[in-house]
Amino acid sequence: MRHALNLAWQVINVDHNNSHRNRSYVLKGAYLFALFVVMSIICIPGLWIVLNSFRPAVEIMAKPPIWTPSFTLDHYRALFGGAGEGGVPVLSYFRNSIIVSVVSTVIAVLIGMSGGYAFARYRFKGKTGYFVGLMLFRAVPGVALSLPLFIVLSRVGMIDTHIGLIFVYVAMNVPFTIWLTDGFFRQIPKELHEAAEIDGCTRWQAFWQVEFPVARSGVASAAIFAFLTSWNEFALASQLTRSVDSKTMPVGLLDFTAEFTINWGGMCALAVLMIIPALVLTFLVQKHLIAGLTFGGVKG
Amino acid sequence: MTEVVIKNVIKRYGENQAVQGINLEIKDGEFAVLVGPSGCGKSTTLRMIAGLESVTEGDISIGGRRVNDLPPRERNISMVFQNYALYPHMTVRENLGFSLKIAKLEEQKIAEAVNHAAEILGLDELMDRRPAELSGGQRQRVAMGRAIVREPDVFLFDEPLSNLDAKLRTQMRVEIKKLHQHVGNTIIYVTHDQVEAMTLADRIVLMKDGYIVQVGTPLDLFNQPVNTFVATFIGSPPMNLVNAVVQGENAIVLEDGSHLPIPSSAKNRVEDGQKVLLGFRADHLMPKGHAISEEGPTGEFELPINLSEPLGAESILYTEIAGQEVQAKMLNPRPVVSGEVLKFELQLDKCHLFDSETTEAIRS
Amino acid sequence: MANRLPSWLLLLLPAILVIAAVVLIPLIFSLYSSFTAYKLTRPDTLWQWIGTLNYEKILTDTKFWTAFARTIFFITIVLNLELLLGLGIALLVNKVTWGQRGLRTLLMFPMMFSPILVGFQFKFMFNDNIGLVNNVLQSTGISDAALPWLVDAKLAMFSIMVAEIWMSTSVFAILILAGLFAIPRDPLEAAAVDGCTPFQSFKHITLPFLMPFIWIAMTIRSLDVARAYDIVQIMTGGGPANRTELLWTLMSRTGYVDARMGLANAMGYVSIFLSIIFTIYFFRKLSASRAQLGMAGN
Repeated sequence: MRHALNLAWQVINVDHNNSHRNRSYVLKGAYLFALFVVMSIICIPGLWIVLNSFRPAVEIMAKPPIWTPSFTLDHYRALFGGAGEGGVPVLSYFRNSIIVSVVSTVIAVLIGMSGGYAFARYRFKGKTGYFVGLMLFRAVPGVALSLPLFIVLSRVGMIDTHIGLIFVYVAMNVPFTIWLTDGFFRQIPKELHEAAEIDGCTRWQAFWQVEFPVARSGVASAAIFAFLTSWNEFALASQLTRSVDSKTMPVGLLDFTAEFTINWGGMCALAVLMIIPALVLTFLVQKHLIAGLTFGGVKG
Repeated sequence: MTEVVIKNVIKRYGENQAVQGINLEIKDGEFAVLVGPSGCGKSTTLRMIAGLESVTEGDISIGGRRVNDLPPRERNISMVFQNYALYPHMTVRENLGFSLKIAKLEEQKIAEAVNHAAEILGLDELMDRRPAELSGGQRQRVAMGRAIVREPDVFLFDEPLSNLDAKLRTQMRVEIKKLHQHVGNTIIYVTHDQVEAMTLADRIVLMKDGYIVQVGTPLDLFNQPVNTFVATFIGSPPMNLVNAVVQGENAIVLEDGSHLPIPSSAKNRVEDGQKVLLGFRADHLMPKGHAISEEGPTGEFELPINLSEPLGAESILYTEIAGQEVQAKMLNPRPVVSGEVLKFELQLDKCHLFDSETTEAIRS
Repeated sequence: MANRLPSWLLLLLPAILVIAAVVLIPLIFSLYSSFTAYKLTRPDTLWQWIGTLNYEKILTDTKFWTAFARTIFFITIVLNLELLLGLGIALLVNKVTWGQRGLRTLLMFPMMFSPILVGFQFKFMFNDNIGLVNNVLQSTGISDAALPWLVDAKLAMFSIMVAEIWMSTSVFAILILAGLFAIPRDPLEAAAVDGCTPFQSFKHITLPFLMPFIWIAMTIRSLDVARAYDIVQIMTGGGPANRTELLWTLMSRTGYVDARMGLANAMGYVSIFLSIIFTIYFFRKLSASRAQLGMAGN
């Protein structure tokens, strides 16, 4: 009798083990499926744009829709040749974007680095005040800021110039750059530059020879982030630029869309042109960005 | 009934086999200690019993129930982790009561159980503190309290004392032993410290490289080690091993030519010319006049003292026999000078013989 | 002179100067002009002080309140959905052992697109004639007519939210992922032994640890939430017929199209306060949650 009970107990238990095992298999499958769905959602819009930039206009407009794509470089050719796609001076926009973004990034990084160093290495009265103030300025929405900026800059005659936009972008990027570089400099032990000074360096030399090289990757990511912010910025640029002389690509894209809602292929090509630098740079910077964004993580 | 049975269990990580097919039966209410050098598979085995690692092959049963695929919460076990694993955002009281809260016990019952555990472990004053505010020893006790609050079938301890300083360690060892006497459940304890194993265990399971080398009571392993590994692992200082060759049926010859009779345990089990290792503990090699007086055959040596470590009630002497360094003990010690030569007595009845090649004990 | 000033001030000075020039001064100017009847077309109106008339006008204007309410509605829904989706995605990605770095990079892409670009993507996909969404719906027979994604009031709001959520969920996902990475493993194992189901372990152990990261993400997002302006501008322009008008598009229209600068600046200040309040709120929550976990301040 006892033997029978024992057997029964074993059987029930095997079922118990099995149900748990099956459940874990099913769960695993569900996870992978969900992950696949998520990644597709992330990639599809971008891929769709890229795909369509290679399709002839006729096919894009076709109704009922054609699902088998054919290939053409027409849009890109038109983009780079002559006056650009349908009269849109894409190359000028591209040139403006590059000039403004690169210059403002370099200046912002220099200013940001020196500010970040100040916060990381020195103690002074009202330090948190300055820090919070700096961050809060970043909270001002671009579009709200553009109103008075527009008035001020037009008085000074800096509307529709590279300089005006550069100046504005530098100010926009400095807070975040300071924040990032502050985090990175804090991670470098003070003893490093103290040892360098004992070895005979001035403060300035110690910085460039010892601390900067170690923080280099952090500074690089701050630079990339600043570049992307400038590259992608729209709200301020849309009002502070007027003509081909200084319009950047985001503004150009909007203009393009407003005027030529029919030429989707061309616009897709323009969009691709905008995406590529962003993607490449993202790939380079992803690790550091997270480190910088988490305020030094939970360890404080 | 809460015996734990491990049958032919193998654990593989890719190419690496961490546990190589072990068999073990731990009886109900037993305090079993898994001990061995790091990498021997003891922690892995414990975690498989807990359900924190999967079992590659074989079966694990707790209380007659096969538990291989069951998650930890269904095995009715509790565990004390090496790093205590306390919940940092909860107070001591909340830490202790957490598992009962999950089990949806009434608040009053939870408070009772928590207070009872706190009393046993002396935590009453710390109940409202957070782990970050506690010392190492206090955290240890909270971890133990958390384990006993649930009254599980089996307690698992994973090197709980390794992070404590030496003095605290000896104190906590006593607490754990008292706990076992008080509560009486099956305990499976993992450590790399043979002193803990010896003092705590009902039975010791000595492991190496994923295998079980010997299972037995502490005295079993101390007095009858199955091979040189056990002999040198258990006991402090470790057993001395000296090279020798069997001569005839009754004697062994050391490398410096001196003769000794064969230990009685190995009589009739050796062959002439066999290479062996003579094993003896420091407790059985003592200077004349500073020894435990015992009867039985002794071998006599005149040995130089290279180094001495005075411990107070006894000293450990570093000397050499036949060119190999050995350790001896001296009771009622007097100061010794390095280079001094003393007359030593070796108690032959307490010696062991091991085969040089297989390292196994030669014993009837 | 450089020897008189302390080093830290010297280092900080360029930053202070630039920000004062580009942000502080215009902000002050903006504040001033919000108390005037300044019209771009009649520059001398800059000196016409009208006190709080602009603000009163705003507070009694139904169009303003509608836009304001819609903005709050938008922000609330979007932030919450992004948090939930970001959390889910982070948990999913965290489980993957192989190729996690690649997944993380992939996850960052939407963050890196210009909001204009994001708006364009979805404008293209939601186009009623040739957009991917309608094409798929019609080809698979789910719907017969072309759905007016960017025209109908409700659908347009929906489309804008989709675009914004697509763009910014990654911020949450990545920050929470970093948080998950930082959680010590031991308490989770102890919880499993203590009897928790995976869900209970998550609720009692993982979630408290994640809170600081969640608040960080919220703080960062509220700094940036006005970027949604770019998306709305390109997808619907605040229309059609003001159906998707948010605070920012209203502001922009009032200032640049209607040229009523004074009024627009008053609105601008309202939106600035909104941003700042959100940011400060979340930052407070961040500090509180870190204290809860027993950690020292920044």
